[in-house]
Amino acid sequence: MQTEARWAVYLRTTIIAVGALVFVFPFLWMISTSLTSAGELFKLPPKLIPNPIDFSGYQRLFGNPSLPLLRWVANSLLVALAVAFLQVLTSAMAAYAFTRLNFPGRNVIFVAFLATLMVPFQVMVVPLFIEMRFLGLQETYGALIIPDMASPFAVFLLRQAFLQLPRELEESAFVDGAGHIRVFLQFVLPLSRPTLATVAVFSFMGSWNNFLWPLVVIHDPSMMTLPLGLSTMSSRFVTDWNLLLAGATVSVLPIIAVFLFAQRYILQGIAMSGLKG
Amino acid sequence: MVGDRGWRKAGLVALFLLPALLPLVAFRIVPMLASVWVSTQEWNLLRAPVFVGVDNYVDVLTDPKFHKGLVNTLYYLAGYLPLVLIFALIVALLLNSKLKGMALFRGAYFLPVVTSWVVVALLWKWILSPEGGLVNYLLGLIGIDGPGWWTDPGWAMPSIIIASVWKDLGFNMLILLAGLQAIPEHLYEAARIDGAGAWRRIRSITIPLLTPSILFVMVLTMIGSFQVFDQVYVMTQGGPAGATTVVMEQVVRHAFRYGRMGTASAMSWVLFAIILAFTVLQLRFQRRWVHYAN
Amino acid sequence: MRHSTIRRHQRVSAVVAALAAAALVLAGCSSGSEGSEGPQGSQGSQGSAGTSGAADPGPTGTSDVADADGSSDKPAPSGDPVTLQFFNFTAGTDHAAQLQAIVDAFEKQNPGITIEVTNGSFDTYFTDLQTRIAGGTAPDTFELNYENFVSFAASGALLDLTKAAPDAIKPDKYYPKAYDAFNYQDVQYGLPESFSNVVLYYNKDLFDAAGVAYPTKDWTWKDEQAAAEKITNVDKGIWGDYQPFTFNEFYKTLAQNGGSFFNADGTKATFNSPEGVQAAAFLTDKVGKTMPTEAQMAGKGDDVLFKQGKIAMWHTGIWMFGLLTEEPANWDIAIEPGNVQHASHFFSNAAVVSASTAHPVEAAKWANFLASSDETVKQRLDNNWELPAVINDDLLKPYMQQHPPANKQAVFDSLDAVVVPPVTEHQQEMQDIVTLNLQKVVQKQMTVQQALDDAAEQVDALLQR
Repeated sequence: MQTEARWAVYLRTTIIAVGALVFVFPFLWMISTSLTSAGELFKLPPKLIPNPIDFSGYQRLFGNPSLPLLRWVANSLLVALAVAFLQVLTSAMAAYAFTRLNFPGRNVIFVAFLATLMVPFQVMVVPLFIEMRFLGLQETYGALIIPDMASPFAVFLLRQAFLQLPRELEESAFVDGAGHIRVFLQFVLPLSRPTLATVAVFSFMGSWNNFLWPLVVIHDPSMMTLPLGLSTMSSRFVTDWNLLLAGATVSVLPIIAVFLFAQRYILQGIAMSGLKG
Repeated sequence: MVGDRGWRKAGLVALFLLPALLPLVAFRIVPMLASVWVSTQEWNLLRAPVFVGVDNYVDVLTDPKFHKGLVNTLYYLAGYLPLVLIFALIVALLLNSKLKGMALFRGAYFLPVVTSWVVVALLWKWILSPEGGLVNYLLGLIGIDGPGWWTDPGWAMPSIIIASVWKDLGFNMLILLAGLQAIPEHLYEAARIDGAGAWRRIRSITIPLLTPSILFVMVLTMIGSFQVFDQVYVMTQGGPAGATTVVMEQVVRHAFRYGRMGTASAMSWVLFAIILAFTVLQLRFQRRWVHYAN
Repeated sequence: MRHSTIRRHQRVSAVVAALAAAALVLAGCSSGSEGSEGPQGSQGSQGSAGTSGAADPGPTGTSDVADADGSSDKPAPSGDPVTLQFFNFTAGTDHAAQLQAIVDAFEKQNPGITIEVTNGSFDTYFTDLQTRIAGGTAPDTFELNYENFVSFAASGALLDLTKAAPDAIKPDKYYPKAYDAFNYQDVQYGLPESFSNVVLYYNKDLFDAAGVAYPTKDWTWKDEQAAAEKITNVDKGIWGDYQPFTFNEFYKTLAQNGGSFFNADGTKATFNSPEGVQAAAFLTDKVGKTMPTEAQMAGKGDDVLFKQGKIAMWHTGIWMFGLLTEEPANWDIAIEPGNVQHASHFFSNAAVVSASTAHPVEAAKWANFLASSDETVKQRLDNNWELPAVINDDLLKPYMQQHPPANKQAVFDSLDAVVVPPVTEHQQEMQDIVTLNLQKVVQKQMTVQQALDDAAEQVDALLQR
């Protein structure tokens, strides 16, 4: 195995590091502004570490009973975790059906799955909202979770992954008399962990960042998800930057924590799939 | 018995397929169909709907504001797609190394992906503030008089594009990285043995074998660009003076602000037709440049 | 095998068909309907008559007249504990405590009735309301501003209040103009909780420093422009004037110039007349000369700029009084200058009851209390939370003596010449058309005449749809 030349390593690392800074710095800036007092906000040159460090933005944020920030975070977490779990489950099962089971119309149904990706969600919002009402689900977690139970995108990814799995293990399992369910649980799933993890992460993120749907279906402040709650905050405190960015900071921290925790798993997964070659 | 096995097999297929299929039908396909029906009505959800046939479609297709919305959407697409693809590719290539610390950097680039658009919009509005914002301050240091960014009709869409590229790059980078890491090492070995330099290896091995992933990113990004909404709604709400009105913003505005459900539905179906056309074109065209390994 | 496959297909398609049918049926009949409105979205920080931090930013139109199955409930027998929802957009965070005080007082006087308050944000209030009503979860009681009132009332979504609680409601208590505003076709559907209007705020220190005399009630546009020019000092970041260039300001300045928005029978837009062009020019010429552009405002709201003493004259609502108790140091108000005549906004919010509420009697009682009780008057006056619409001179006296501003009389003087907003079936759409074209004028994409002609054409087309 050949190693990269020294200078190449330095160059590569430098470029990446500078680039990474562009992606990380705005967050630091956000934290910095949230700790800047209102009077200092517009003074130039801008300081990264504010002087004085002013917590009033946070005090106003948490001291305001009509801004249940932590509740919003909890709602978002609950919904996103449920959606991620359900999407992984349903997509893995569907992908198994598409790759290991033969049935008429298999390809047609798969293409239909994908076609739904192209139709913008806004097209479906109103009828979907009415459906929620019919099921008595408006203003509930159910409305946020159940319509998102399945993800064609996840099915697509997992189908790709399942297609690439070596079949020998499965085939010998079948010969030994194992049924599909066992093969699915004991062979296919474990060998696809990286992709499953990726799907879980993407599902989680998608749900977390969902904005329009909660906007339409949730109006009770205590049931709002984080993006929705934040946007109501920003429309009320239009230019109160240090309050707004304090709210933004608080809302970003939990998701970053979750991400850092899950990141290792995903990267392992990607690395493993890379090494497989 | 054939009958028995048939039933069992059907049951099995149902077991595996239905958990994903049923919700999709119930919560995506059914509303889609209902929406087609809505597009033939004049309806504000309160009065009974009135059948107007294709009038909504005619109105939409002849509305100069809709045309402007389409142009803005294409502007967004033309700016955003190349930028996010090229930069994601560059970063993926750079990060495709077993050096220690790459994991940390990967996380850094992915950070904006996990934050919600409201946060990103707020943040970038603040950073791109014409006076007092970080970017214009930095530009001022090198003698450039920074533009009005999101307050200036000429710079509002670029502002949205910048924020979008920043936010989405990590996501696309990850997909491309996965594609890169799926390229078998032995191909590079063989090339090195043959004396191919780094650049040659990238051109002859990496890029061609990455084309499926690139296609994937392109198709997804293109579809997403046509549907862009969240960042426009939160950053500029279609302004200033209608400079960033994209089709989806119009759809939402017509549906919920003006109570024109029929028109909004027709608009979104017109957009769908356009997306479909573009996607088919892309997929047709892909045979020319996408290489599938074995 | 084929047999079972077909059967399975049939089963699946049966389920799908059933779901499709259900959805279509549901989509077809939406019960319980109230007005519709959308997010206040496309107006930006210069977009509304009142801006950030305000509890009541003024009117927004509705879209459509609606037609619901208004139920005629017989008054439910009291005795069981009753919970009523109250959805509002005026309490916000600034006045949540005052609203709660009013609620507490009501609950004390009416044991057995509990009020569940939801304080909505103005920007999302009407979307929320619309979708809740479309979803069948309309709040028992809620607030409406004048523009939206007409379409809600026309749709049969509101309850006849004097019928539900005839003894409690006393029409004489209210300012006639406010009371009548919420009467539709001889039925009283709303009780005015408050009214407010827009006045001209001015910073005395800035006037003194530039040696300009303070605004009086005889001022005209010329005087305002002259003063603004003298005071504006771009280098120091001092601006003479601030007035949003939106639909709301336009129809008012149009009236101040003697023009009219529609023709007599409301079938054609007439605001692109010479009077209209002058009015629009008055609004749009300021920007960049005596009024900061959005870029120049640097992400600060107009309220912040006025507080910091960067703006000398500010057209905004009286709901801002409470925000300015500390800064700027010396300010007062005057009636807005007219050109040909005076014309002021008249904003009023009413408490209304949903026609589909299960407790009409209690709800009507609550609406009445909210609108006219002494507690309400006290809370509003003591805290600068808009003006109560009831005539109560005793309580009004201390209000008049609360300074700043010293010239509170201007608030009442403004009521002598009010202009009622033009209202149509597609209110929001019409407002957006006008506002967008005015924005284009400011961005130098259109001349004033072009903008108004184009807008008039679009509005005419809208009227015919």
